[in-house]
Amino acid sequence: MNLYMGKMLVVDLTAGSVTTEPLRAEWLREYWGAWGLALRYYTDAVSPEVDPLAPENVVVIMTAPLCGTMVPLASRMCLVSKSPHTGTIFESNVGGSFGPELKYAGYDGIIIKGRACAPVFLKIDDDRVSLESAEHMTGQGIFETEKLMEAAIGAHGAKTLAIGPAAENMITYSMIGSESYRQFGRGGTGALFGSKNLKGIVCRGTGAVRVADMARFLERTDYYTKNDLLCDDNLWAKTDGTPILVEVTNEMGIHPTRNYTKGFNGRKEKLNSDAIQAAKLGNRACASCPMACGKFTRVNSAEIEGPEYETLCLGGSNCDIHDLEAVIRFNRLCDDLGLDTMTCGSTISLAMEMTESGVHNFNLRFGQVDEYLKIVYEIATLSTERGRDLAKGAKHLAAKYGAEALSMEVKGLEMPAYEPRGNFGMGIAYATSERGACHLRAFPIFATDPHDLEALVSDVVDAQNANSIKWSLGFCDFWGTINTTIEADLMSAGLGEPVSAEELDRAGERIWNLSRLFNLAAGFTAADDTLPKKIMERPLEGGRHEGRVFSRADLARAMQSYYELRDWSAKGIPSSRKLAALGLDTTIL
Amino acid sequence: MKKELFANPDLCTGCNRCTLACSANKEGVFQPSKARMRVTNFPLRGFSVPNICFQCPKANCLEACPTDAMFRGADGVVRLNRDLCSGCGACVTACPYGMVEQDAKGIPYKCDLCDGDPACAKECHSEALVHAAGDAALFQLKAAQMKTRHNSGTPLEKRHKIAEALKKNSRG
Repeated sequence: MNLYMGKMLVVDLTAGSVTTEPLRAEWLREYWGAWGLALRYYTDAVSPEVDPLAPENVVVIMTAPLCGTMVPLASRMCLVSKSPHTGTIFESNVGGSFGPELKYAGYDGIIIKGRACAPVFLKIDDDRVSLESAEHMTGQGIFETEKLMEAAIGAHGAKTLAIGPAAENMITYSMIGSESYRQFGRGGTGALFGSKNLKGIVCRGTGAVRVADMARFLERTDYYTKNDLLCDDNLWAKTDGTPILVEVTNEMGIHPTRNYTKGFNGRKEKLNSDAIQAAKLGNRACASCPMACGKFTRVNSAEIEGPEYETLCLGGSNCDIHDLEAVIRFNRLCDDLGLDTMTCGSTISLAMEMTESGVHNFNLRFGQVDEYLKIVYEIATLSTERGRDLAKGAKHLAAKYGAEALSMEVKGLEMPAYEPRGNFGMGIAYATSERGACHLRAFPIFATDPHDLEALVSDVVDAQNANSIKWSLGFCDFWGTINTTIEADLMSAGLGEPVSAEELDRAGERIWNLSRLFNLAAGFTAADDTLPKKIMERPLEGGRHEGRVFSRADLARAMQSYYELRDWSAKGIPSSRKLAALGLDTTIL
Repeated sequence: MKKELFANPDLCTGCNRCTLACSANKEGVFQPSKARMRVTNFPLRGFSVPNICFQCPKANCLEACPTDAMFRGADGVVRLNRDLCSGCGACVTACPYGMVEQDAKGIPYKCDLCDGDPACAKECHSEALVHAAGDAALFQLKAAQMKTRHNSGTPLEKRHKIAEALKKNSRG
C-alpha cells in the first residue's frame, strides 16, 4: 500500500490481548488519517454516553498518510477519545517521531480498549508486540518511565509515549508525554491511559513507508518546501518559534495577564523571544521538519525544550510570574509529572485571584514563585488539600467555592493565551470548538478588524473546516500557508491516484460535523457554546482594547450567524440537508 | 578541492531529514533504519548526533575484508563490490563507528557519498551536515569525532556510545 501501512493494532487490556486488523479502506477517502480517521474509528467503537474513564471507553491513536515521509511538518499523530476533563469528543495531537516509528513498525494506528488488572506497558518491536508489566514504573515520572521502557526494548532510540503520577491519579488534565518534552497535552489524555492501567507504549520500527513514484513525490515535496513552506510567512517558526507571540499578542492587547484581567503585560521583556534566545542552547525539530521551532534552553541548572508561548503566558504572565528560570522549572515539573501546562497554569492563576480577592485562601498569590512551584507537585500527587482542589481544574475549582465569575474556561477546557475581548474571533473560536476553549481550530488573531463579528464568524468557519482536514493529514499548525490544493497534490503524488482539493475540503467539513453530532448525542447543547462570565461582563484592563467586553448580545449574534453559515438549526443542530451533502449517516453514532 | 562530509552535532535538530533522504535515494522507500548515515537523539538533553562514515584514510572495514570486496575508489570513497562479498560481516565488526551494517541477506551496506553529491547534506537545513572542502574548524570537529572508537558491540551500540561521548563534551 502506498503511504498507509494497511494495518491497525488492537489492544484489549481487559483480555490482555494484542491483535492486528486490516485498515478500514472504505473510510480512507472520507476521513483520510489522524484526526478524521481516528474519529471514525472511535465513533464506531463507543456510544457517545460512555464514561471517559470507564473500561468501556476506547482510545484511538492514529498516524497520517504522509507521516514518516519527507513531506515536512506532516508527521503529527492524533489521539481521539471522549475527554474526562470536558466530556466532549476530544482530539489531541503530538509531534516528535513516535508517529513515523509506529508506521515503520508496520501500523497506521492503535485501538486501545478495556482496563488492565495491573499496570502494564505496550511493547512494539516491529511485528513482535506484547503487553509487559509496568509495576516497577508505578509512580515514576515521564522522563524515568521513558528511560525504563527504552531499556526494556533494548535499543537506544526507541520512541515512547508515557504517563506520570498525575495520570496514574487520573487527574483530568494529566497528559501523555513523548520524547521528554512533547505531549498529547490537553483534555486529560493521560488520565485515559491511567484509567486503563496503561503506563506507556514503546516502539521500534525498522520497516518502510512507500510512495507510488519516489522521483515525482520528492520533486513535489521539494517544490512546496522551497516555494511555500520556507517563505517569509512561515519562517518565524525557524528563527523564533512560538515565543515570538509574546510581543505579537502584547502589541495586539490580547496577552492574558493576571488571570485574564489585563490584555497587556508591562514586564513582557522577561519572557519574550529575546529572553528565550539568550537562554538557548540549540534548536529542536520533530521528525522530518526543517523549521526546528523548538528552542532548547537552560537557565542555571534548569533545562527544557521550550517554554512555548502558551506556557510563557499561562504559566508566566497570567500568574504574574516574570522569571524565566521559574517558568522553565514549572514547565519541566509539568512535563515530568504529566500535567498540561496550559490548564495547570490557568488553574493556578484562578486560585491566585481567588486568594487575593478573598474568596478562599490557597496561599497562592500573583507573582509569588515558591508556592507556584510547590503547588505543581501537590496537584500531581494529590498530596495536600489545596493540591486536590486545584487538581479539579478551573471549572470545578470555581464551582466548589462559588467563584464562577473568575473561572476562564469553555465546556470545561481552560482558555489558551489569546484574550477574546481584544479579538472577538478568538471568542467565537473558543465558543464553537468541539473540545472547548481551543486555539487550534481557528486562530483569527491577524484579522483586519478584530471586532467585526460577521467577518470573523466566516473566518472561523473556514479555518475550522481547513484545520479539520489539515490535522487529519497530520500537518503541523506552523505550515501556516498550506491549503487543500497543496495537500491534494502531495497526496496524489504519494498515493499514485488523483486526490482533489474539493474532496479534502468536504472531508474537513464532514469531520467537523461528525464531532458536533457526537457532542449533541453526549448531551451538549447550544447553551454550551458560550464564553466565561468575566469575558462577557468585566471590562478588559490595559492594552489597546482597554474597556472592552464580549457582551452576551454580541455572542448571541455571533452564534446565530455561525449556525446559519454552517446550515445548523438555531439550536446548533446540523440540518439533514447538510448531513446528506456531506454523506454523513447519523446512525453511525 | 576535494569535498568531504562533515557533521556538527551542536547544530543538529534531530529532524532526520538526512536519513529519510538517504533511504529514499538508496532504497527507494522512506526507511531510516536502512540509511547509510544515522542520527542518535537524546531528547531529554536536547541533543542529537549525526553519525556519519568518515571514509577513513586507514579504513578498518576495508582492511578486515577477506575477499577484497571492500575497495577504495579513485575519489577516496570506500565502496563494496557485491560480486566479491561473501557476507561474512567482518567489515561490520571492524568499523569502530557503527557505520557498516548488513541487510537481511548478509550483504553489507555503507555510505558512498552518493558518488559525490550526498543526498543527506542537501536536505540538512541547519548545517549540521555539510559537504564541503572544509576549513580548520570542520577538520578539527572531524578529528575529535574520529578519536572515539569502539571495537565491540552492535553498530547501534557503537553509534550510541560515540554520541554519548559527544553529548557529554557539549552538554555536560
